[in-house]
Amino acid sequence: MVSALVTLSVLLAAGWVVWLSRDVEARVGSASTVGAAALALLALWLGLVIGYAPIEQVQGIVQKIFYVHIPAIIPMYLGFVLTAVGGVGFLRTRRESWDQLAASGAEVGVVFCSLMLVVGPIWAKPVWGHWWVWDLRLTSTLVLWFIYVAYLFLRGLAFGSDAAKTFTSVYGILGTAAIPFVYFAVDLAQGSTMHPSNPAREGLPAEMGRTVGAGMIAFVGVFAWLVARRMELAALEARSLEARAQRGT
Amino acid sequence: MAYLLAAYAITAVVLVGYALRIRAARAALLRSTQQRS
Repeated sequence: MVSALVTLSVLLAAGWVVWLSRDVEARVGSASTVGAAALALLALWLGLVIGYAPIEQVQGIVQKIFYVHIPAIIPMYLGFVLTAVGGVGFLRTRRESWDQLAASGAEVGVVFCSLMLVVGPIWAKPVWGHWWVWDLRLTSTLVLWFIYVAYLFLRGLAFGSDAAKTFTSVYGILGTAAIPFVYFAVDLAQGSTMHPSNPAREGLPAEMGRTVGAGMIAFVGVFAWLVARRMELAALEARSLEARAQRGT
Repeated sequence: MAYLLAAYAITAVVLVGYALRIRAARAALLRSTQQRS
């Protein structure tokens, strides 16, 4: 039930964001509703973290960091997949809106990836005794972060040029090849990682599973709202550049 | 408890900070567009 709701929220968020990208300035009004829903879901999630999820017997209260760390994974992957979707769309149609979707997905994806990479070590220090270990899951996630930070740098260095957009579109599509490697890193290492395996397969107690699920849905809502606002900003920037170019000629 | 609070505080700062950054960039862009027109 929880995983079905999470999947539904991911599909709805992805569909809405792609629909929005077709004409973001005209359609961004709907972002207020999504933002309000995301805030309500965040409040529900926080309530569950504080009052419903049990304190884990071995790790103690510090285990509740999982309720931030795990939900941040879904928006991270979703952002990077949308970067590839936008890249494919741009290469096929050369429409600016697809490129704006790709850039916005990557930027918000990097925000959630950074959050996960910062919050994970805060849990690891009291539990493992180390902030960081170079196991396959942690290292591959850091590599994924670098791939998309490099993508954003590349865009920043060659701002606006059509050749740069073509190159970053291809880069964004190829970047998704790293996602399965990160997701299955624990399996690839045959369990020899410090990092636990994916909780969906491990099976969590019901209260913990529902709290993680609520967090995932809330974070997906926040992600969709942030991508919408970022795409609106990108559209405004493009329009401003266009107006400036027209005045200059 | 300090680790837990730090994790949640960082989450709030990152997400709210990013949203405010977008908002500020949008406001600056709209202001400069209005000044030019």
